[in-house]
Amino acid sequence: MRYGAVAVPTSDLHPISSSRVNRPAPKKAFGAESGCHENLSTSSSEMRTQIGKKAHRLPRGHPALEPWPSDVKLYQPYEVEQILLQDQANSLAVQVFLRMCGLEFQVEMRSNAEHMSPSGKLPFIKCGAFVVADLDPIVSFIANKGINLTDHLDAAQKADMRAYMSLANNILGNAELYISWCDENVLNEVTCPRYGSVYSWPLNTLLTWRKQKQVTKKLTALGWITKTLDEVYEDVDHCCNALSERLGNHLYFFNDRCTELDAVVFGHVFTLLTTPLPDNRLASIVRSYPNLVEACQFLEKAFFQKPTANTTDGDSDNFN
Amino acid sequence: MASNPVMELEIWKGEWGLPSVDVHCLEVMTYAKFSGTPLKTKITNNPFKTPHGSLPVFQHENECLTKFGEISAYLRKNNHTADFELSPKQCAEAFAYSHLIYEKLVPALQFVWWIDSKNFIEFTRPLYAKLLPFPLNFYYPGQYEKHAKQLAMSLYPEEDDLSVIETAVYRQADECLCLLATKLGEKEFFFGQSPSSLDAVVFAHLAPLLKAPLPSAALQNHLKACTNLTRFVGRVLQRYFPKEIKDQEQAERKITKQESEYSDSEFPNKLRNISIAALISLVAMTAYAMSTGIIQVVPADEGEEED
Repeated sequence: MRYGAVAVPTSDLHPISSSRVNRPAPKKAFGAESGCHENLSTSSSEMRTQIGKKAHRLPRGHPALEPWPSDVKLYQPYEVEQILLQDQANSLAVQVFLRMCGLEFQVEMRSNAEHMSPSGKLPFIKCGAFVVADLDPIVSFIANKGINLTDHLDAAQKADMRAYMSLANNILGNAELYISWCDENVLNEVTCPRYGSVYSWPLNTLLTWRKQKQVTKKLTALGWITKTLDEVYEDVDHCCNALSERLGNHLYFFNDRCTELDAVVFGHVFTLLTTPLPDNRLASIVRSYPNLVEACQFLEKAFFQKPTANTTDGDSDNFN
Repeated sequence: MASNPVMELEIWKGEWGLPSVDVHCLEVMTYAKFSGTPLKTKITNNPFKTPHGSLPVFQHENECLTKFGEISAYLRKNNHTADFELSPKQCAEAFAYSHLIYEKLVPALQFVWWIDSKNFIEFTRPLYAKLLPFPLNFYYPGQYEKHAKQLAMSLYPEEDDLSVIETAVYRQADECLCLLATKLGEKEFFFGQSPSSLDAVVFAHLAPLLKAPLPSAALQNHLKACTNLTRFVGRVLQRYFPKEIKDQEQAERKITKQESEYSDSEFPNKLRNISIAALISLVAMTAYAMSTGIIQVVPADEGEEED
C-alpha cells in the first residue's frame, strides 16, 4: 500500500448550492496579457501591502470589489504524489469554503506551488489580478466582495467560531507538521519521498533538508519540538474532544448553517482519516468521535459528489 | 531530586502591583489562587538551574514541571481545579479561547516586549538586567530577544521586513482583544460568577501588558480602550492578589513622600542662599565703585574744623 497517497473527494465540480453572485462576462484582468509569472509577482507585492494595512473598507471602484471572475484558479501541489498532510488539509478547507459560498474555481496542480505563493502558505488562489494565500486572507478577500458565511452569527458566536478555528489550526495543523517532519518513521517513509518526488537528485535531498530545517525551526519557536509523539496524540485527542463537544449531534457547528469553521474541521478530519500512514493512531483517534466523522461525510457528499439518479448508497468509500 | 512535600513554584519577581512580571509565572500563580491550591512561591529570578532554561518551575514530591498545561493537569489530578463548575462544552470553549490567545496574542506580546527596539532598549533589557544576577544579566535578555525574533520569522517565513510582520501581528492581536472583550461582555468572569482556567490564562497575558510602563504603547492603549478587560484585570488583582496592590501603593506613597520632602528641605536653604549671595554682590560692587572713584565719600565740614 502506498503511504501518504491521499484520497480525493470524488471530484468536481459543480457546487450544489446555486450561485449567489451575478457573474458578468469575464473582464480581462489588468496585466493578464503579460506572462503568468509577472502577473503573480506584481500582484504578490500588492497583496503584501494589503496584508500590512489595517482592515478597512475598500474605496468604491477598487479592483478587489469586482465580482467574482469565472477563471479563478486554486493552486496546490500534486495531490497524488506530492502533497503533504497540512497542505492537503488547508487546500481542502479552502475548496470546501469556496463551494459553500457557491463560487466557481478550478484546481491547478503545480510542483512549485509553495514557491509561487506570495506568503509561502498553501493553497493560494489567483482571482483576476490578485493572488491570495491561506484561508483567512481568502475569507477576508471574499468578504470584501460582499460574500460571507457568518451573517447569521451574532458577535459572541463569531468570537466562538474564531476561537475554535484557532484551536483546530494550532493543534491539528501543528500536529500534522510534527508527524510529517519530526517523526522519523513518517519522515523517511512518507514525507521525504513525497516532497522530493517532483525534483531530480540532488535537488530533492537538498530541498527536503531545507524544508525540514524550516519546519523544525517553526515548531521549536512554538514549543512543539520538545513534545513526545504520545503528547502530540494526546493533544489531538483533546482537540477532537473539544470540537466534538461543540458539534454535539448537529451536522454544522453554528445554527445548522455552514461556516468557515466547518470548512477548516472538514479539511483536517478528512485528511487525517484518509491518509494512510505507517502508524494509524491519528486516524483511529479521529474515528473515535463519530459525530465529527459523520459531519465530514455529510460535507463531502454535499459539496464534492455529483448528484446522480442512481445513488442508493450515499456513503463514500473514502472512510472505510 | 529530593522529595518536596510542599508545592513550590520558582518565579520571576513582581513589579507594578503584579505578583510576577512573567506571563507563564502569572498563569500558574493565578490558576493556583483560583483553584485554592496551597502553593508556595519562591522568587529566584534565576533561570540558570532550571530544566529548560526558563521560569516558572513547579516542584512537588518528585515532580518537576514547567509548562502551564502540565502543571494544571497535575493539579487537577490532585483534586485542585478551577473548572469544576464548567460543563464539558464550556471546558471545550475555555480550551479553544486559550488557543486563540496563544495563536494571536502571544506573538504580539513577544513583539512588544522583545522586538520593538524602543521598548527593548528603554524598558525590557534594563528590567531583566535588574532582576537577573550577575553575570546572567548579560546572557538571558539577548537569548529571549533571539527567541522572539525566531518566532516572528518562522510565522512569516517569506517576509524579511520586521515592520510588515509587526503590522500584521498587531492587527491580529487587536482582533484577539476585541474577541475577548466580546466574550467577556459585562460578566465578572468568562463563565459567570467564579473564575476558571480561561480567566487565569487571559489575566496572565493581559496584566503585564496593562501595567508595565511601556515607552512604545500602541497595543497597551488598545487594551486600555477595552474597558471591560481592564476592569477584569483590576478585579482579579483586587480579589486574589491584594497584598501586591498594597505593596505597590505603599511603594508609590514612599516615593512621592521622598520627593516632596526633598523639595521642602530645599526651600529654606534657597532663601538664605539667595540673600547671602545678594549681600556679597552688593558689598563687592560698592567696594569696586569706591576704589575706582565712581563713588566718593567726602566728609561735610572738613575746612571749618581746621581753623
